[in-house]
This record gives sequence, structure tokens and C-alpha cells, in this order.
Amino acid sequence: MAAGGGGSCDPLAPAGVPCAFSPHSQAYFALASTDGHLRVWETANNRLHQEYVPSAHLSGTCTCLAWAPARLQAKESPQRKKRKSEAVGMSNQTDLLALGTAVGSILLYSTVKGELHSKLISGGHDNRVNCIQWHQDSGCLYSCSDDKHIVEWNVQTCKVKCKWKGDNSSVSSLCISPDGKMLLSAGRTIKLWVLETKEVYRHFTGHATPVSSLMFTTIRPPNESQPFDGITGLYFLSGAVHDRLLNVWQVRSENKEKSAVMSFTVTDEPVYIDLTLSENKEEPVKLAVVCRDGQVHLFEHILNGYCKKPLTSNCTIQIATPGKGKKSTPKPIPILAAGFCSDKMSLLLVYGSWFQPTIERVALNSREPHMCLVRDISNCWAPKVETAITKVRTPVMNSEAKVLVPGIPGHHAAIKPAPPQTEQVESKRKSGGNEVSIEERLGAMDIDTHKKGKEDLQTNSFPVLLTQGLESNDFEMLNKVLQTRNVNLIKKTVLRMPLHTIIPLLQELTKRLQGHPNSAVLMVQWLKCVLTVHASYLSTLPDLVPQLGTLYQLMESRVKTFQKLSHLHGKLILLITQYFIFFQVTASEKTKGATSPGQKAKLVYEEESSEEESDDEIADKDSEDNWDEDEEESESEKDEDVEEEDEDAEGKDEENGEDRDTASEKELNGDSDLDPENESEEE
Amino acid sequence: MAGYKPVAIQTYPILGEKITQDTLYWNNYKTPVQIKEFGAVSKVDFSPQPPYNYAVTASSRIHIYGRYSQEPIKTFSRFKDTAYCATFRQDGRLLVAGSEDGGVQLFDISGRAPLRQFEGHTKAVHTVDFTADKYHVVSGADDYTVKLWDIPNSKEILTFKEHSDYVRCGCASKLNPDLFITGSYDHTVKMFDARTSESVLSVEHGQPVESVLLFPSGGLLVSAGRYVKVWDMLKGGQLLVSLKNHHKTVTCLCLSSSGQRLLSGSLDRKVKVYSTTSYKVVHSFDYAASILSLALAHEDETIVVGMTNGILSVKHRKSEAKKESLPRRRRPAYRTFIKGKNYMKQRDDILINRPAKKHLELYDRDLKHFRISKALDRVLDPTCTIKTPEITVSIIKELNRRGVLANALAGRDEKEISHVLNFLIRNLSQPRFAPVLINAAEIIIDIYLPVIGQSPVVDKKFLLLQGLVEKEIDYQRELLETLGMMDMLFATMRRKEGTSVLEHTSDGFPENKKIES
Repeated sequence: MAAGGGGSCDPLAPAGVPCAFSPHSQAYFALASTDGHLRVWETANNRLHQEYVPSAHLSGTCTCLAWAPARLQAKESPQRKKRKSEAVGMSNQTDLLALGTAVGSILLYSTVKGELHSKLISGGHDNRVNCIQWHQDSGCLYSCSDDKHIVEWNVQTCKVKCKWKGDNSSVSSLCISPDGKMLLSAGRTIKLWVLETKEVYRHFTGHATPVSSLMFTTIRPPNESQPFDGITGLYFLSGAVHDRLLNVWQVRSENKEKSAVMSFTVTDEPVYIDLTLSENKEEPVKLAVVCRDGQVHLFEHILNGYCKKPLTSNCTIQIATPGKGKKSTPKPIPILAAGFCSDKMSLLLVYGSWFQPTIERVALNSREPHMCLVRDISNCWAPKVETAITKVRTPVMNSEAKVLVPGIPGHHAAIKPAPPQTEQVESKRKSGGNEVSIEERLGAMDIDTHKKGKEDLQTNSFPVLLTQGLESNDFEMLNKVLQTRNVNLIKKTVLRMPLHTIIPLLQELTKRLQGHPNSAVLMVQWLKCVLTVHASYLSTLPDLVPQLGTLYQLMESRVKTFQKLSHLHGKLILLITQYFIFFQVTASEKTKGATSPGQKAKLVYEEESSEEESDDEIADKDSEDNWDEDEEESESEKDEDVEEEDEDAEGKDEENGEDRDTASEKELNGDSDLDPENESEEE
Repeated sequence: MAGYKPVAIQTYPILGEKITQDTLYWNNYKTPVQIKEFGAVSKVDFSPQPPYNYAVTASSRIHIYGRYSQEPIKTFSRFKDTAYCATFRQDGRLLVAGSEDGGVQLFDISGRAPLRQFEGHTKAVHTVDFTADKYHVVSGADDYTVKLWDIPNSKEILTFKEHSDYVRCGCASKLNPDLFITGSYDHTVKMFDARTSESVLSVEHGQPVESVLLFPSGGLLVSAGRYVKVWDMLKGGQLLVSLKNHHKTVTCLCLSSSGQRLLSGSLDRKVKVYSTTSYKVVHSFDYAASILSLALAHEDETIVVGMTNGILSVKHRKSEAKKESLPRRRRPAYRTFIKGKNYMKQRDDILINRPAKKHLELYDRDLKHFRISKALDRVLDPTCTIKTPEITVSIIKELNRRGVLANALAGRDEKEISHVLNFLIRNLSQPRFAPVLINAAEIIIDIYLPVIGQSPVVDKKFLLLQGLVEKEIDYQRELLETLGMMDMLFATMRRKEGTSVLEHTSDGFPENKKIES
């Protein structure tokens, strides 16, 4: 299943892209995208803070990431004295970020230094790292992998403290208990380990598919009558790949109950989960689940024992683009991650694309079951990024490397890989030193835009689209291509069409030629292009005449009315211009006064007297029509009687209707009651 | 008295989509019911026995739905990993399914736990099927092997290791219990015989094979990958036809219950229906996402399509026997109708037939009584102009023939004249109406020239009309240029034909003309 099996082929792949908010203040949002870049965004102003590309970013892509807890930072900071920037106020800033990779190594990245802090490799995993967890206060790091093992690391020495087999299959998720003495791991089943002895304390059934997330939801047991040993009575939550249910489990004192206590149901598989811990019995657990379909579901529930039915969400949040005009419907924008702010009353939403996410703080005050936010993300693109980058690293690229771009076979793609944004930043810096004049720079930019015009990009896909559309007769696809107005683009597209599609294309054009002239004109452009570009090919076809016969007949039959139509057009033009002259006259009358238009009326008369005669000839056929005009004339006479100021016009001959018309029309705006009278008389 | 002849309404054929029996048949489904599954729906299979339930494989579960139920009536969820290809046995009582971990499991429809588990494949099993004798199961897996299992002993009987890539599809013959075929990503489709240890036939598809299908007779084989190909098995695997109607990989195939139509679903989100006699596309369905699985119920009553986004779309056929139940008005007995009809003429009798009463349309009645304005009004009614513009045009033509079109058009107020102009603007550019309407437009201009400028509404309409005519003229000018080009092309053709002594083709062009006109 080439493309469709993305979901079904590799069930172990986590749903989303690894990402995390920095702990406590949530000032940063780290995101390891599929192209191997690690990006750290500032949540407050939605700017790119840092970007880092591991040297082995293609072979060992980042599979998981975790921020070091803030407390640990504070404790550790005095030990590293090399850094200057750390001196003031840095102690509470979050710093270390652990990245797990697909090849088994773990990287520690320092956001303060903006570079790699250390690597944890030796004695670690030899397969994909699935999950990393920092211990709250011991300075240890726990990781689990596809190689079925769980490893405990000492971060200071970068050495393995302990390594043990966690499951019979790959271990997919980890979580450390609130008191720091227990560890939850999820493989085939969910296990609870005692960290000191590395022994299994409890078993839980788990899910049918790999568990993607594990989280403790409470830090105190529900009933305080019993003595609390740090773990018994606590609830935790698990979500799995391809599973629309999130299960909640309780750690019981007796080892009998293995099934889930309750479950939450969502619309699609969970991608990112965040929750607020409930610290006492009365306070409900708030849960925000981001699903693969781009929605966020919010749950608010007091965990209190067994519940048979899956709970549905209290509130659903969606984001959509504003629909512009009537036709375009709003499109949903996927939400990528959501985290509760420290006040527990508002939510940080990350939405848009992975490469340029937008981060926004949304207050949760409403009781509505459904929220749809309308956001326009089309305008927040590249320029913002360039200005905001503070530190960016790119891999060293071999200049001989070729970039393969999809396209139709036989045509080499003209696209070059887009220069990374960093180069521009660097060149800006350099320009200060090298003194490139603005003129030169502008010149260079001009050339750039000429070379990388739209056409190059689009013609590459237009022939493909058109060929596919013709093959499957996909109406929308064909519309998209054929309704282009750009002549240059049409020409290039036709030039690149494979020969066997020419005849189907002509047939499609034949079908579309018989429509409204608005759209049919475009089709003629296509037809002309095809005929000129592929003339030699077409003339070699033995059955050209039968193939194009219909087309020829269709065009010929349409062209037959050309003469008559031109005639009609002439009449209409006359009509319209007359109308416009009339308008100008009335306008000038209003501004200047009544004396001047009399001369204009004379001019009109002289120009159009011949036309009037020919009209009379036609009108001779119907007596009614003649009568009509007579009526009109007499009317106009009346008008002129009323209009006594206009001496000049009255002096001219009375027979001519045309002159009268313009004169009478001037007046008609004033007395429109004559109009219905006229109609009734005609009948 | 000479009878009035009703106006002949000219019908004009339109090029393009035609309504055929097939479009009527395949459009006759209700709006789809959509069911959200837990993951991509990789297989849908109908039980061959009533009540025609169907099994849906998605993620690690198999749901069984009743024909009209929207909730699963049964669920098999005892899979450790993704399940594939849940298939019913011919009697509808057993169900077999493969799994990502390499197991093959056999379920009883009424039970919950598997009856049999066949362990032997080392990688994911994507295809399983029952053989015609009901006692064996064929499975194909990602470890490149095809295995035949015995149900009673739950033992492996045979293993074929001829494929050199993943085996992703297969099906067993409905007639011969020993024959089955498999399709693989190594671009081949192979036919195996359980009586031998080797494949008996192999065809080269050219692309990874995603789905295979045997015709019930067993004579034809259909394989789907990037394209759909039909092979004749009796001629030793000769390629009959290659269907290139999808622009992405075809993932599933299905035959209609009559065997007359072949359906294919593809990642390009379309299901196409082919006739199995001509192998032309006769109908096409659009869906919202890439299609992974497709199944038709008994008698084509239901179409079920599974998609990558986990949505299952179920379409039911509209029931037809609704109109029968209406109470009918009591009619006179048949006897009264035939009274006197069978009376034989005697020698001296003169037979006088009562003139048959002709039914006239309303506009015809008006025309008959020379109420020309009223007749024109009637056909200029918006319902008529939009639905049947050809009637309006025919009446205008008739009035023109009688020479009274100017009279009929004259004497209209602002609203009526704007109706007429609206109709002109809408239809003037259609070549079939153009000659008549241009004439009418000229007459209108002649009549209403004196009153131009009195009503802004009418003036606007005239402006619109002028814009349209201008565009049409530009368009026709372009067409004339193009015609010139084509003449040039045809001229080269003629010369060639003249030199080669083929007489029958030289008159092809005029002949064509005749047909068209």
C-alpha cells in the first residue's frame, strides 16, 4: 500500500512529531520536525528562538524529546562555570533538552549555549529510542527503546548507571511516579517498577497497540484515611497508537485488579496530551488531548473509582481559516499541541504547519461544549522567521549532492533546493563588511525573481496534473489546470505534455468549447497552443480527420453566426454610445446650466441622421413601430413647448426624431409619469 | 376546418455526459452512512449467506456489521497487533484473519476466542482466504511465502517460496479446491496448484500488485497495481486489456453481483465501474479520502468503502416498491373501453371515426387563437426559460416565421422587457439558439431604441448584452483563426491521401460533415 498504508504499515511510529513545552513557565516550545531540525519557539511572542540540526539528522531522526526539569537546572548550574551568559538570572531558565534518535543515541542539547552539551551513547541502546524521562531530583535520565531495554543514565558523567530488560517486546513509553521512587513502563503490558531494586511491583493489561503516552494524574490518594506509601491509590493515564480510548488505571494495594478503572473517548488517536495534576480530593483533573485530526478535547473529571462507560469530552476546540467570499469554505487548521498554562485556566495552543507553527494563549472560561476559533494563518509566513532567528546551524552540504524531485519521467525538474534561510542571514552580516552597494543587491534580487518565477514551479506540476486528470477524467483536476489564464504557462504546459495525451486533451477541449464565451475563450487558447506546438505530430496521425472532425464541425457551426452577430454588435454599440452621450449631456446640464446642451444636440443630429434613415426602412414593415415613433415625436414636441429656454433647438426641423429624442430624454428624468402612459397607448 | 398544428419543438443534442442505464443504476443509492473506525480500513468482506453481514478490518479489530446497523453487532479484538484481511467462509460461519505479528486466526462467528491459530509465518500476513472445499486456508505474508493450512488438524500442508517480495493479495478459486492465486510486490501474479509443489502459471504485472480477483468462471484474472490488468488464464496468461483510468495506485477490486461490472477503488479517491464486455468506464464515484477497500453486497444492495482516514462509507440502494402502495382511483371497467370497438363493418355501413382529441400545450392554445403576446409571455416565464429554453426558442422562431415577432415583442413594460433581455443574455451564446435569438435581439433594439435611457434596469441589461456579444465576437474571431490552422493541417492530410492511392479515406471529411449536420 504505497501511500495509503501510512497508518497501517508501521504501527509503532508515533502519531505526531516529537514536541514539548518547557516545564513550569512554558516559555519555550521545542519541536523536532521530520526533516531532522530541532526548533525552539518562544511561546510569548511566537518567534523562533533557536534552530539546531544534529549532524546525523537524516540517518538518526529524532524520535522523542524531553526538557530537563527546572529544579534540576537550578541545582546543576553552579557546576558549569564556563558559561558567561549564565551568570545572572539564568539559573531558573530551562536549559537542557534530551533528544532520542532512531539509531539509539541520546543527545543532550543546551539551549543556553545553543549547541550540543553531550552525547549518551556508550552502553546504551542499539535501536530506536522511544521515550525519555528525567528524574525530578536525582539528576538521572531514563530511556526506553525498541531493543526491549530500559536504561538509567547519569547525566553528569554521561554513563549508564543501570540497564535492564523491560519487556519481551519493545518498550514504548515511560513515566516516573510523583514521589520519584517508581517507574511506569509500557511495552506489551504496563509495568510498575521499583527504582531501587528494579523489580516489578505491579502489572496492568495495557492496550492492543503500542502505548504512546503515560502520565500520572494524581499525586495524592483519593481517600486519606489509609497511610500513604507514595504510590498506592494513585491514578495514571495511558494513550495508545490507533486507539481512540484513553485509559485510566489505579495502583491498588492488592495485586488483583488489572483492568482499567475508566476511559476517555476522543475522535481520533491522541497525538499530544497535557494535564493539570489534581493535588487534593476535590480538585478535578483537567486533561487536554490533541488528536490526529487536529482537534483538542478537554476533559474535567474528579477521579473517583470505577466508571464503566467511556467519558466524552466537556469541550472541543477547533481552528479554521476564515472563508473568504461565498464560495471558499473555511478549512480546518490542525492543532499540533496544547499545554495548560500554570494558572490552569488558559491553554497554549500550537497550530498550523510543523515548519511555522503559531502559538496562542486561549482562555478557558466558557462552558460551551464546542469552540471553533477562526484564524488566518496565510499571512504569517517566512519574513517573521528570518528576523527572529538568533542562532541557527545548518549541516555542511556537499555541493555535488543531487536533489531528486518528483516529476514526469523524461523531464528533468527545474527546481533547485531552496536556499536555507540562514544563508540570507549570513549574507546580511557579511554585506556589512564587504560593502556591496544597494544597487548591486537590487540587481541580484531582480535576476532572482525572474529566474524563480511562478511558471517554472507550476509548469512542472501542471503537465503531471493534466495527464493524471485526463487519465482518470477527474473534473476538478482538469478545471484547475485548464482554467489558467496565463498564456505563457499554457504554452509551457502543452510543450511538456506527453504525446499520447494530446488526442484525449483535444477531446476534452472539444467538450469544453461549447460553453459560455467567458470560459470557452480560455479553451481556444489551449487549442491554439496544442495545434501550434504539436502540429507536426498531429499531421502524421493517419486518423486525424475523424479524430478532429467533431471539433471542426462544432467550431464551424458556431462561427456561422459571426456576420449576424457583428451586425447586432454594431447596433448595440450605437445604442450604448447614444445612452452614454445622453448621460454626459444630463450631467453637464446639471453642472453648467441649460444653455450649452442645445449645441451638443445639434452635433448628435448631424452624425446619426443617416443611421436613422436605415432604421426607418426596417421600421416601415410594422406600422405599429412607426406609430410609436410618431407618438414619440409628438411627445417631444410637447416637451419642447415646456422647455422654452431652449430656443436654438426648437428652431431646427421638427421631423427628425433623433434630435427630439435626446432633447426629450433630457426632460424625462423630470416627468417620468409620461412613461407608463406611453406604454398603455402602444398596446 | 384544417386542424391546428402544434409548434414543433426542436430538440438539440448536447455533447458530453450521457445518461445511460448504468448511471441510473449506480446513482440509485441513498446518501452514504459514514462510520468512524479505529484506523485505516484495510478490508471489507460481505458474508455470502443471508443476512449478509459484513466484516470490517481496521487497526487491531474486526467489526461485524449487520446490513442496516450502524453499530457493530460483534467485535473480534483479540489481536496483539494490526489485523488484516478478515474473510468469511462460503457458508458465512467461519472467519479467518491475518495479523501483523505473522499469525493467522480462525474464528467462529458466534464465538469470541479463536478456534484455530496457525503459527508459521515470520512476518505480517496480509492476505488469507478459504479454498473452495472449505477445509483449507491459504495465506500470504511479508516473509515472501505462501502457505496452505489444514483447518481440522490446524497444520501447515504446503509452503511456496516462489515470490521474491511481499505477498500482499490473493484469492482462491471458487470452483477448484486446489487452485489459488497470489499477487506480490515483486510485480508478479502466480497461480498455485495444491497438487503440485510449484506455481502452474505466472504473469508479469509490471508494478507491485495490490489486489487480485478471479472471475467466478475462473477463466479471467484481474490484477491491480498502478493499473488494472485483465488476463486470460485459459490462454496461458495472455494480457487481454490494461485499464488506465486511475491516476494513483488501485488498491481494491470487486465484481458486481451479476458479474457484468467490475469495480476498482484507488488512492485517487475514486471508484470506477467498468463494463466487463467492453472494459470501458461506465460510471465513477467520488469519495473523501484514499480508498483502501471496497465491497458490494448481494444483488448490489449496498456499497461499502473503507478509506485511509478510518471512515467507512456505506451506501444502500433506494427501495423501489414505494409507489405501488398508493391507493388507485377506481377506473371504469375494461368493457366500457372496448365497447363497439370490435364491431365489424357491414357492406352498406359508412364508418365515421370520431376525431381524436388532441392535447395542446398552453402556448399552443394561445397561438391557435392568435394571442401572440400571451403565448410569448407564457414561454418567457422563468420556470420555462430555465428548464426548457428550447421551447421558448421554438416559439420565438414560430412567431418569426409568421412575421409577428415584432408585434409580440412590442408594448412591454420595464419588467417584461428585462425578462426578455435576461433570456437573451442567458442563451445568446449557445450556438444552437444563436440564429433565432440574434434576430430577436435586433428586433428588440429596433422597437425599443426610442425609449432607451428611460429605465436604468433595462439600460443595464443592454450593457450586459453588449458585453456578451463583444465577448462572443472575440471568441468567434479566435475560433476562425483556429479553423484556419486546422484547415492547414487537414490540407496536409489531403495531399498525403492524394498521393497514396487510398480512395476510401479521401472522402472521410465530407462524410463526417454530413453526419454532423
